[in-house]
Formats: sequence, structure tokens, C-alpha cells
Amino acid sequence: MEAATTVRRECRKCAADAGQALVCPRCHAVQPLAPGADLFAVLGLPRGLVLDAADLERRYLAASRAVHPDRHQTASDTDRELSLAASAAVNRAYRTLRDPVARGRYWLELHGTDLAAGGPSVPADLAADVFDTQEKLEELHGATDAGERSALRHHVKGLRDRLAARVAGLRDGLAAAYAEREPALDDLRRRLAEIAYLGTLLGDIDEAIEEGSDGTDRRH
Amino acid sequence: MAPIVGIDLGTTNSLVAVLEDGGPRVLPDPETGARLLPSAVAFLPDGTVVVGGRARALEPAQPLDTILSVKRFMGLGFEHVTAEDRARYRFVEGVAGSVRFEVGGRAVTPPEVSAHVLRELKRRAAAVFAEPVTQAVITVPAYFNDSQRQATRDAGRLAGLEVLRLVNEPTAASLAYGLDKQDEGIVAVYDLGGGTFDISILRLHGGVFEVLATSGDTRLGGDDFDERLVGVVLADVDEAAGSAPAVRALARAAAERAKRELSAAARTEVALTLPSGRAVRRAVAREEFEALVRDLVERTVGPCRQALRDAGLRPEDVRQVVAVGGSTRVPLVRRQIETIFHRPPLVDIDPDEVVALGAGIQAGILAGGRRDMLLLDVVPLSLGIETMGGVFTRLIDRNTTIPASVKETFTTAVDNQTSVDVHVLQGERELASDNRSLARFKIPIAQLPAGVPRLEVTFLIDANGILSVTATDLRTGRAHSVEVKPSYGLTEEEIERMLEESIDYAEEDVRQRQVREARVEADMILHATRDSLVREGALLSDDEAARIRAAVAALERAREGEDYVAMHDAVEALSQETEPFARRIMDRSLQEALANRRLEEL
Repeated sequence: MEAATTVRRECRKCAADAGQALVCPRCHAVQPLAPGADLFAVLGLPRGLVLDAADLERRYLAASRAVHPDRHQTASDTDRELSLAASAAVNRAYRTLRDPVARGRYWLELHGTDLAAGGPSVPADLAADVFDTQEKLEELHGATDAGERSALRHHVKGLRDRLAARVAGLRDGLAAAYAEREPALDDLRRRLAEIAYLGTLLGDIDEAIEEGSDGTDRRH
Repeated sequence: MAPIVGIDLGTTNSLVAVLEDGGPRVLPDPETGARLLPSAVAFLPDGTVVVGGRARALEPAQPLDTILSVKRFMGLGFEHVTAEDRARYRFVEGVAGSVRFEVGGRAVTPPEVSAHVLRELKRRAAAVFAEPVTQAVITVPAYFNDSQRQATRDAGRLAGLEVLRLVNEPTAASLAYGLDKQDEGIVAVYDLGGGTFDISILRLHGGVFEVLATSGDTRLGGDDFDERLVGVVLADVDEAAGSAPAVRALARAAAERAKRELSAAARTEVALTLPSGRAVRRAVAREEFEALVRDLVERTVGPCRQALRDAGLRPEDVRQVVAVGGSTRVPLVRRQIETIFHRPPLVDIDPDEVVALGAGIQAGILAGGRRDMLLLDVVPLSLGIETMGGVFTRLIDRNTTIPASVKETFTTAVDNQTSVDVHVLQGERELASDNRSLARFKIPIAQLPAGVPRLEVTFLIDANGILSVTATDLRTGRAHSVEVKPSYGLTEEEIERMLEESIDYAEEDVRQRQVREARVEADMILHATRDSLVREGALLSDDEAARIRAAVAALERAREGEDYVAMHDAVEALSQETEPFARRIMDRSLQEALANRRLEEL
């Protein structure tokens, strides 16, 4: 895969054509990020929802080796600042693009919309499970009897497994949706919103189940 | 030019290492050959500061003026000092709620105390290279927050070191292991030191060390094991004596020795002589010790599971577990590691040295010496800001690879507002007040109707895990400088003042230092000898007593002079004269202790 555009841009140091590259191909000086470059461009990729994970990782590691501050420790202040900015951009690009869900949300953002645009809605066929989960979590919160707590935990774990399977299915379905020639934004938003919704619910369940076992928070 | 050094600034011990052609090497003390420098600093009433093993030896005599675990207080606020801490040291509140130790009649900050340890290591390295050392990589627990990192960097500055990078300890350890193994795959680093616990999960591929997740507890370590043993040993000593700082200091040292012995032996004895002359002996079997510390060791399980979960991995995915930190010598800790990761830990490299060796390698990488290796680390705690209603809004999630940056746009809530207030915090809790406050700052803006100004604030976490902030007015494109003042840190003026004050100390010549240290040593033995003569003089023949008095007089004369070699000789002579005496005192106390026990058994 080649970079999307072939804009000519002079290296700030040696005036060679650096294009949209993060570092000059001739003198290896870190370049300022190209104006308007999106996260795909940061890793030298064209905009697209379908990505090869191995290729993405190779690009990330190569870019990190080129721009990471550890490689520019002995350079001038300007070089070090540019290395810091480029490195942060590379990390952000990889973190966003490697995860299909984060990538999809970023795609919506690039197209001027976001998850909230569709409004929060619980998918109809899930409503019963979601209602049951929330009710049981509340009961678990108030329950003091050990036997009752254990029964509730068991019940919630069953729900958790069902919801987790559903999320896994949704994530698998993303690949097919992304492969379409022109994915419909509404369809993407609906899928991603459901994943986000279930993700929050699963987080709540995990927290409730772990409370009082080993989930005590010691961070400060 | 002297090379960049790598420093492990530990809770209990500190080391300095450097990368050479053959690999990383720990630099020993040129005089004694010691590799570990105890992270102990004693502040004597006459203004003398003693560092290292000598300071640790002074602790029973000067318990309140000898700081042994300063790392536990780095970057903390006065409000974080616990009752247990207060039983051990005297504290005063410094500027803006920061912590100060009251030692030797003055108030010093934790970074100043650490700076004394760093200066000693710097001196060691300079002696090896025969030229000044000015640049360093310093390691910090992966789980250190921004304030704790800032405080460590300040300590470096105060010691006259340019701190090129703060490296997370487990990550440094992985560098030392990865160097000779050229491994690929998932590695877990379990780092239990004297005062802190870290767990890091890394992926090694093609010379890149990518941290996937980290977790830990900045107040859990071998010191806590010692305290548990102290509690048991002093259980028989009456309450008033048992809580005296000098008694606790003696008991801690004895407990620490016993803990080490129990790593190899099934049973041992904690033995100490109280200042009253009473001998305390308590047999401890390994099983009893393990029962005492089990809950502490189990506290490492939660962070390990958390880190695995954050990395999206199961224990089976981990190819190797590396044990780091002196506390991983405890067999119970090793068994715990095996329970969590289903495999025994690797212990090929000395757990006390592995972090320093890794810091040495990272120093070599920064100097351009190891271009094949690269370290990609993460921020250990989520970073965010306080928003409406005291809610904590996350901007950068924990375990995000650093450097990391995020932009956030702010506007105004009321007409003609002149500035926007930003409160930055770090932590995982929902409410702002439950997280650690890092900094508050105001950004001035033009007076306009509410909602019209648009201010873009960029939060940047650099490769050290330290935050900086810049702001741009989106309407005018004008950049605002933002000064981030750490909530409990040192101000720029304080650092400048401390640097000025420390110049005398830094430039003092080596001879003078040796004279002062020899005097401290002389005072210690003089004090102990006079004390014993008064209390136990009856154990001596007239002839022996006369010889000891003569040696005391000789040392007193030498102490008044400037010849430190003569002082050392006089100390040596006196200690030879008193050795049989000391043995007799010890024997007698032991017999008394045994006699007491026999009485109890009857």
C-alpha cells in the first residue's frame, strides 16, 4: 500500500522532497506533520476501513523507530520537539486504527458525524436482557446475605456471557460491513453504537461482580 | 566526555550502571567495592549529612534524623502522610501542602533527601571515569504518577544531573533480560521492591520492547514485610519501650536480617539488644513468617489480573515472567508469581541489579549506542480534567503508549469571562475529588459573550510520563503559554534556591568530606563505648578498662585534628580494644534472656 497523495514538500533541513513522510528520506530529519494529515496518512496509508493488521504493525514499528524521542536525544531543541509531536501522532494513529471499533468511530468523525447523532437506543431484541441485568445489578448492590449475593452473581454472570457473545458477533460483523465498497454511515453508526452501549454495560457488570473480591481499587 | 549513566533510585538501595562494549555494568564504590548504596540519608545536628551504609548504621542512634525510605514520600502531599509515617519521622507542612521532613533541626523536602543519594552515586561514577558525570537516566516505579515523576526529576536537578529520561523500572528490567535473550513474545515483569510493587506486560518484537499494560501499588514492598515481623518481635516488649523510634529502628534491622535468612532457611531467630541492655530473641519459622505477610503478597494479585485484562491477554499467553526486586527472593512471593502466571519466574539476573543494568542500557540507547533497541512505554494512570459537577473526564486512558497527546476545546460559561480554569487530575475514579490532583491553571482569554471564545488546549505526556500543556485561541490563532505547577511539587524558585545552597556541598573537596565522615564514625564508637563503660564497666578488669580509656583518649585527640587517616586508625585501635568487651556484654544479655525464658517455662 502506498501513501494516498503525492504532494511535494521540501525537507526543512536538506530541501529534498519529503512528501508526506514523517522523516526526510534523505537526511532522516523529523518533519512537521503535513497540514490536514489524518491518522491514516500519519502511517502512510490511504483512507480506508479495511486494514491489514500485520502491515499496520510493521508501519507502526518502522515509524516509531524513525521518530521516537529516544532516537533524537542528542539533536537540537526543534528536532526534539518535532520528534515528540510526531511520535505522539504515530502512537495515536496506531491506537485508533488497530482496533476495528475505534477505527470505525474515527471514520464517522472524519465524515462529520458521531455515535451520539443517532441518539441512544437499546436494540429491541436486547431490551429484556438489559432490563434484567440492570435490575439484578441493583439488587446485588443492596444485597447483604452471602447466599443471595452468590445467586445474583451467578445469574449476572450468565447474562454477562450472553451479552459478551453478542458483542463478539457484532465485532465480527464489522469486517463484512467495512469491506463494502461504500459503507452506509447510518449502518456503521448503529453497529458501533450498540457495541459501545454493550461495552459500558459489560464494564458495569464486571465491576459489580468483582466488588469485594479482588477488585478493590488501590490506585491514588 | 563521561558517558550517560543509568541510575536505579530504589526505596532501600540505589545503584549506578553504564553501558559498555561488553554490555551493562554496575559501577562499584571505588573505595569499598560495594555495588549497592543504601538509600539512607542522616542529617546530623551540626549540619553534617551522611549517606549510604554509614547513615543506615546511624539510624538506631538518630532514628528521627535518618531517612531510610524517602522514595515513599516523593511527590506526596502533607495530607497523604499516615499515622504510621508520623510514628517514624517528624513532618512539617511545606509550601502549598507539600511534605517536609524535620531532620537535624531543619526542614528538607523528599527531593532534597533523594538528591543526596544521587550525588553519592554521581561521585562514584565520576571516580570510575575520572571526569564529572552530568547526564543520567533514572528509573521510577511504572506506577508513579506525574507528581512522583516530577519530584524524581527535581531530585536529579538538585544533584546536578541532567535527567535525560525517566524509565519505568520493570521496563528497564526487561531491557536487561531481552538483551542477552533476543526473545520474541509476551513477557511479564513482576517487580516487588522495598517499597513499591509494579507489574508490566510487554511484547518483544524485533528489538522493540512494547509495554502493553502496567499496574501496581506505590505503597507495597519488603518494608511492609519487615514491619509485620517487628510487630511480632516487639509484642513482648512493653508498649512505651516498643514504640520508641530507636527500639523500632533496631527491631527493623533485625527483622530485615531474619527475613533474608528465611529465604534460604526454614527457621531463624530475630535477635537484638535494646538500648536498656535487655536482649530480645524470638525464633521464627518460615511458615509463621509466611502467615504474617500472606495478605501483603496477595495484594499483588489484583494488579497482575488488571494488567493482563488491560493487555487483552490471559495468563497462558505470557511466555516468560521475570522476577525483579529484592522481595522476590521470598519463596512465598515466588510461589505467588507461579500461581498467577502458571510458570515459575526467571531469576537469572540478580533481582537487586537488573533494574540498574536496564537503566544503563537505556542510557546507551539515548547516547545512540544501541540503535537496534527501542522502548515503547505507557502512561500508568488515566489523565483527565475536572468538568461540570466535579466529574472526572478522561482525556488519555491508562496504558496509552507515550508520548501521547490530546486536544480539547474549551469555551466560557458566562459573558465576559476573562480566563478559563483547568484542573488536571490523574486516576481511574469517576469523581474528580477521588483522583490525584496534578495541577490547576488559568488561561486568559478575550472578554466575549458566553460560548463564543474557543480555546484549544493540548495535553502532552512526554516519553518520561510527564505532562505539559499548551493552549491556542482558535479565533486569533494566538498561542498562550501555560505554566503547569505540580500540586505538591517544588516551584522553580525553590529549586533555584536549593541549587544555590547545595553548591557549597557539591564543590566541597573530597578530603574535607572524608574528614567529616571519619568524625561521624569516631563519634559513633566514642558514644557507644562511653555508654557501655558506664553501664557494664563491672565486666572489665582494671587493666582492660585502662586500655580502653587510653584508646578513647587517643581517638578524642585524633578527632580534633584534620587527619582522617589518623582518625580511622584510632577508630580501628579502639574497636580492637573493645571487641572482647562487646562480646562479653552480648553473652551476658543472652544468658539473661535464656534464664528468663527458663523461669517462664517453669
